[in-house]
Amino acid sequence: MTQLANLIRMAAQLPIFMSCVALFFLMVMTFCDVILRSTINAPIEAATELTRMSMAILVFSVMPVMSFQGGHINVDLLDGLFDRLRLDRWRDVVISLACGVMLYWPASRVVVLAERARSYGDVTEYLNWPVFYVSWFIAILTFLTMGALILRGLVLIFAPQMLEPAK
Amino acid sequence: MTESLIGFGAVLVLVLLRMPIAFAMGLVGMIGFMLETSFRGSISMVARLMIDASQDYGLSVVPLFILMGLFVNKGGISRELYQVSNAFLGHFRGGLAMATIVACGGFAAISGSSLATAATMSKVAMPEMRKFGYADSLSTASIAAGGTLGILIPPSVILVIYGLLTETSIGKLFIAGIIPGFLGIVFYLIAVKYSVTRNPEAGPAGPRATREERIQALLGVWAVLLLFFLVIGGLYGVLNFWPINLAFSPTEAAGMGAAGAFLIALFRGSLSFKETFEVLRETSITTASLFSVLIGAWIFSNFVNVAGLPEALRGAVTAYDVPPWVVMALILAIYIVLGCIFESLSMLLLTVPIFFPLVAGEGGLGFDPIWFGIIVVVVTEISLITPPVGLNVFVLKGVVGDVSTGTVFKGVTPFWVMDILRLALLLAIPALALYLPSHMSG
Repeated sequence: MTQLANLIRMAAQLPIFMSCVALFFLMVMTFCDVILRSTINAPIEAATELTRMSMAILVFSVMPVMSFQGGHINVDLLDGLFDRLRLDRWRDVVISLACGVMLYWPASRVVVLAERARSYGDVTEYLNWPVFYVSWFIAILTFLTMGALILRGLVLIFAPQMLEPAK
Repeated sequence: MTESLIGFGAVLVLVLLRMPIAFAMGLVGMIGFMLETSFRGSISMVARLMIDASQDYGLSVVPLFILMGLFVNKGGISRELYQVSNAFLGHFRGGLAMATIVACGGFAAISGSSLATAATMSKVAMPEMRKFGYADSLSTASIAAGGTLGILIPPSVILVIYGLLTETSIGKLFIAGIIPGFLGIVFYLIAVKYSVTRNPEAGPAGPRATREERIQALLGVWAVLLLFFLVIGGLYGVLNFWPINLAFSPTEAAGMGAAGAFLIALFRGSLSFKETFEVLRETSITTASLFSVLIGAWIFSNFVNVAGLPEALRGAVTAYDVPPWVVMALILAIYIVLGCIFESLSMLLLTVPIFFPLVAGEGGLGFDPIWFGIIVVVVTEISLITPPVGLNVFVLKGVVGDVSTGTVFKGVTPFWVMDILRLALLLAIPALALYLPSHMSG
């Protein structure tokens, strides 16, 4: 069980690393694009579409880990009340499971839209990269986020101590 | 209209039950849209939004400005900003609190977040003010209030989101925030002066810095001042040094700012590979949480639009012949009340799609969209220090620890009053926000 948890922790670093690389790439590319355009009038033509792709990677890569760790923005105004009634854990269980389950339908629909883009042969403007790659990426990461939220709910039921260091 | 109001109530309940704001808005929006259209239509709308929002070119400005702020912070600049302000103001009565306000303004110029500004400055300024025997009420209030400048003085994440939601020029919004932000600093300095005049014990004068010390302190921040002028100058389109013309779009300005901040931190030797990775990781996580709120809010806003709330509101205002200033006063009151529950971005995302068409949209009351953006941000700033749940006060309490929220709120009162005065001034004289953007190229 501990080995499995360690394996999951290590695997979780990969999407975070991808996200960091995408962000650093975005920064360097924007800088180079401006400098090249301003000095020798030679902007990076594919900058816009590379920016779009980097953004999708940046945003969705960290979603599963962030969701598992409970990193979404929320309001804790009634925490005192739930703590006093000892309902805080069960409230978190219900919310994690509900949030996870509700992602199933949009994620499935993103798959349909991705497949539609593939059947149309949609490609990006300059690089001619198939558009459905990004949509599939978003779909997979949304499914993983769904799994992460459901897993969080189950961990909160059966082994809440596993989430304590992240609190 | 009834459906929308029920939707709002449902979001509020879910949020209070601690459901993440993104999911609460997304779930209610998805169900509401489904009831108005169809299941398939609703799911398609959500899926399409997820694909489009995460690949929106304009939104790339968000992570890049967050990154810029974090890199500059890693470079240790918050302490130096405080030292330079202190060197010039520390010898006045209440001078350290004034220095805190000015340093917050300086930090706001490289950070787009109020909470980050308050959290960072409290670590730097609080120990210093305690050392010189400042009253906790004044020291904590100056940090909490100064921190609110983060979302008005450009770059501002909130203004970026407002610009994208309303299709208003982000560059112009940034430039429009400069004078009101500067006014905020001046008004807060007056609040400090008032506090120490009423109670001189609250902020004793510190030692006067020598000219050499002042020059030394200034040298510590030149790189960041240069970075700020590069970003804002590029946005304003005034950095035209033939043959090089540095005119930026907001995304380009953010990219230049982030890269410049990275280079500054690198050359100062304060950035290892591990720390760079940590900054990138923190930025990615913040960006993802902001984007999930953004997607949730867009889903909810689509539901509200399809349910016809903006039109219903417009119709009600026309039918009852409500004067525009009454509508504006009501909207501002709603913002202050909502600010007690929601954090700034969620509040903005939830309300702007409803109020904007009424106030500044086609067939609306005819207010200027840029001016309305600044007003919304100023009123959001006010909500950050308004009892009972001004968020900046709680962030500050989290960092400082041993000060009661009552003490902070007591000290914050003069700052809050000055904020209301500034808001009144901006409402009465829109040119304070609109003068600079009207002289902007493009």
